Amino acid sequence: MSISSDSLVILLLCSRLGLPADPDPAPLNLREWNLLARSLQAASLWPGDLLNLDLKDVIAQVDIAVEEAARLSRLIERSGAIAIEMERLESLGVHAITRADNIYPQRYRQKLKDSAPAVLFYAGNVELLGQPGIAVVGSRHLDQVGQECAAFIGNVCAWSGLVLYSGGAKGVDTISMDAALEERGTAVGILADNLEKAIRAPATRAALSRGDLCLVTPYAPGAGFSVGAAMGRNKLIYSLSDFAIVVASNVEKGGTWAGATEALKAGWLPVFILDHPDMPEGNRILLQMGGLAFPYPFPEKFSKLPEWLRIQSTSIQPKPTQLGLF
Amino acid sequence: MIGYAQALLRNMLGEQATFRPGQWEAIEAIALKKQRVLVVQRTGWGKSLVYFLATKLLREGGSGPTLLISPLLSLMRNQIEMAKKIGIRALTINSANRQEWDLAESALTLNQCDILLISPERLSNERFLKSILPEVAGRVGLFVVDEAHCISDWGHDFRPDYRRIVRILQLLPRGVPILGTTATANNRVVADIQVQLGPELIVLRGPLARESLRLQNIQMANQSERMAWLVENLPKFRGSGIIYCLTVADTERVTGWLKQKGFQVEAYHAGDNTKIDRPALEEAFLHNEIQILVATVALGMGFDKPDISFVIHFQRPGSVIAYYQQIGRAGRAVERAYGILLSGVEDDEIQNYFIESAFPSQQAFQEILGALESHEALSFEEILAHVNVARTVAEKTLKMLEVDGAIGTTFDGKTLFFRTPNPWQPDSERIDRVLALRRAELSQMQAYVDHTGCLMEFLLRALDDPDPRPCGRCANCLGKEMNRSVAHELTVEAENFLKGISIDIKPRKRWPVGLFPELKRVIPSEVQNCPGRSLCYYGDAGWGKLVRNGKYVDGRFSDELVEAAARLIYNAWKPDPFPEWVTAIPSRRHPLLVNDFAEHLVAQLGIPFLTVIERTGEAAEQKTMQNSTMQARNVIGTLAIKVDIPATPVLLVDDIIDSGWTLTMAGYLLRTHGSGVVYPFTLAQATGRNVSS
Repeated sequence: MSISSDSLVILLLCSRLGLPADPDPAPLNLREWNLLARSLQAASLWPGDLLNLDLKDVIAQVDIAVEEAARLSRLIERSGAIAIEMERLESLGVHAITRADNIYPQRYRQKLKDSAPAVLFYAGNVELLGQPGIAVVGSRHLDQVGQECAAFIGNVCAWSGLVLYSGGAKGVDTISMDAALEERGTAVGILADNLEKAIRAPATRAALSRGDLCLVTPYAPGAGFSVGAAMGRNKLIYSLSDFAIVVASNVEKGGTWAGATEALKAGWLPVFILDHPDMPEGNRILLQMGGLAFPYPFPEKFSKLPEWLRIQSTSIQPKPTQLGLF
Repeated sequence: MIGYAQALLRNMLGEQATFRPGQWEAIEAIALKKQRVLVVQRTGWGKSLVYFLATKLLREGGSGPTLLISPLLSLMRNQIEMAKKIGIRALTINSANRQEWDLAESALTLNQCDILLISPERLSNERFLKSILPEVAGRVGLFVVDEAHCISDWGHDFRPDYRRIVRILQLLPRGVPILGTTATANNRVVADIQVQLGPELIVLRGPLARESLRLQNIQMANQSERMAWLVENLPKFRGSGIIYCLTVADTERVTGWLKQKGFQVEAYHAGDNTKIDRPALEEAFLHNEIQILVATVALGMGFDKPDISFVIHFQRPGSVIAYYQQIGRAGRAVERAYGILLSGVEDDEIQNYFIESAFPSQQAFQEILGALESHEALSFEEILAHVNVARTVAEKTLKMLEVDGAIGTTFDGKTLFFRTPNPWQPDSERIDRVLALRRAELSQMQAYVDHTGCLMEFLLRALDDPDPRPCGRCANCLGKEMNRSVAHELTVEAENFLKGISIDIKPRKRWPVGLFPELKRVIPSEVQNCPGRSLCYYGDAGWGKLVRNGKYVDGRFSDELVEAAARLIYNAWKPDPFPEWVTAIPSRRHPLLVNDFAEHLVAQLGIPFLTVIERTGEAAEQKTMQNSTMQARNVIGTLAIKVDIPATPVLLVDDIIDSGWTLTMAGYLLRTHGSGVVYPFTLAQATGRNVSS
């Protein structure tokens, strides 16, 4: 295991690893990190250079307030705890990547730019991140049609060599992910909580060791569930896949609604909405807002699904993108 | 800065104190230049002084507290007291002081701790990682790794946790100083540590010779001769000393013998089922309330009593480094000290056992991984119920798998183990390399025993001392030595002593986990056995040889053994109320062996022998069962009582006790069928398990 000095500094500054619940100083939030990244770039410095500079050098070379520089130096001093915590996580099979790493998903840099998380923790096959695939999203509670549809998409992903992207939560996420893995397909789960615990379930662990699965989270790997976290990771699901299929959504509430409307607005990818006679009210309105209709039962042979999705979405033009910085 | 440091030194040690060569260089490199340093200096040189002063300077410069990782925390009390004199506030966190963890946590929050001492195991402890370490906010100003030779596979001391420490150190950015300390590291170990910690590691190495030590080697085949030698020669030594033995049983025997001969001795070891209060013994020994400790390696590295004037080895240690370390406890602050190595016939057998059991078998790894792979998480006891692996081996296997990242632990009321997604392959190349090294060390040690030149020089060369030369003090240099022979009568007496020891059989009080899911684990006291006795350890120099012959050569136990057993029961043990009848465990493979012995025994005891216990099924030999659950399961259903039995106290006889489950189960059956209290008696106790520590 080794961590580049750039990544180490991003972990030191931005992650909550090895910090108490209410840390002083607090780690940088994404907005603060982006500002600093720009200042560093303007000074022709790399994040790793902060390890070798003392406080007064930082103040002299980087456009930054004195108290902010002091905060940085306090955060950087915690390398001991990060080393101990990272060693423990690695030995559990949990790894860290940052925006400074080559294996950081390019799609996040392209599509999310400044909102691309500075640090990701993952277990399993990291190369799956950003491979062609379909995201399946939807609430935890869903009807019979929704369940069948979720399993169908999981199966088709496996049979067609596509990655199944989901949030790894109960309901739609688990049904579609299990359906993909049971057919020896591949899947990526972007978790809102407790990556450390998620990887212990025997079936999950087996898929991780086979290289069929990658579980990712932008939050500390031992963190508990929070609504904000669940909302925050939605864009990480959408922006990693080629197509999204919303199986079931409430109206004006819940993570699925928030994520789907955000994705429709941002135009990261074509968003399909499950369309059937008894569909939830949320689906109906999302269709009105520009979601593409996804009929179930699927009218064609399953093997046509990828092609069908592409043809249906030719009406949507992807927005031009530009790469963000570390 | 050096002036200030010298003033601090004088505060700690008194007005006369000055730095020893190397001390200031180390402090300067760590505290002022924030470098990585490995200090190889003999015990007593003052390594703790280096990290206390470096901590002081770093803290005054605004650094976070020092994190000191050492397997020997309990022995640091004196050093901590010394550090208080320059205002260093030290806190210790280990598994033995949980009640103080809250205190430590708040001291760290308030930045009132300058050096935090932890054992290597803490680094994988959730509570430490999740609530204590964050209170430092990770601001570790200096990492100190004590016993740094454990970092290298070439070191003589195998500690899996050190692999974890190395990975942590490798993740530290430059600019976080690191200090490794060791008293024993040859060139190969130093080079290996350098590879692992980076080429910029500065090595400060001093001479290892101890001017006060006088060495001599004496080979004596039999234990009884060596025991006699001790009695004849111990009175010639002045002051206090240590006698090292290889096994727990040997420390007990030697202690018993020397006590009987009027010496002021105590046994010191970490064996199971003993009530040894090690800190209290250390304390009493430090204050010369005990003259001699008879110890296993449990009296380990770092034990610092400056006025030890002799270290005698009752058996030969496994390596020159281990030997050097152990004799290095003598002669720190006395002018004349002795290191006498006795060695005998049993040494090779014991050392080979240590080598063979150094690593768990492939089967142990595979069974434990298999159990964990089919579950989300299991407790230690649950794992044992799934695998045929001995408890101590299971502990070792889990530790190695954890360090390898194959399994993790979490705490939920109890420690739970789980399989990680990391791939795992047995590192058989590494295991073979380490075992080959152990064998080479063993033959080097034998070469030392046979060496006719200067003994100290031999040790120094083996340790790559920068300047080895003849000491002019050892028996070989002087041509003057202690007696190599002993009075015959005393040897006979020692042999009789070995024959006269009996060994307690402690009754089992709980069924193993998972054995009787429908029953409570506690065995009700009215159906437990009473404490029992064994005549000897199987194969030992007293009765043990006769038991082995009886079982495997003659096919019957000799009259001598019958008489010895009767004497023990009548004269020494005297169970009260005395048993009114005798019964025996029917032997599987030698159906008449135990019955025949019991029949002869009752003739001596004058009470009847009744065969009431039957074998109802075939079971595997108990010694092939590796842990309690498996052993007990192996016995269940193979014993039965089908006749009426007297309601009076009974002596329950077997030849060899291994796990104790056969006797426990038979006793349980006797009690539930209406017998009086049950006294187990066996000719021998098996020694294969827990021979070490």
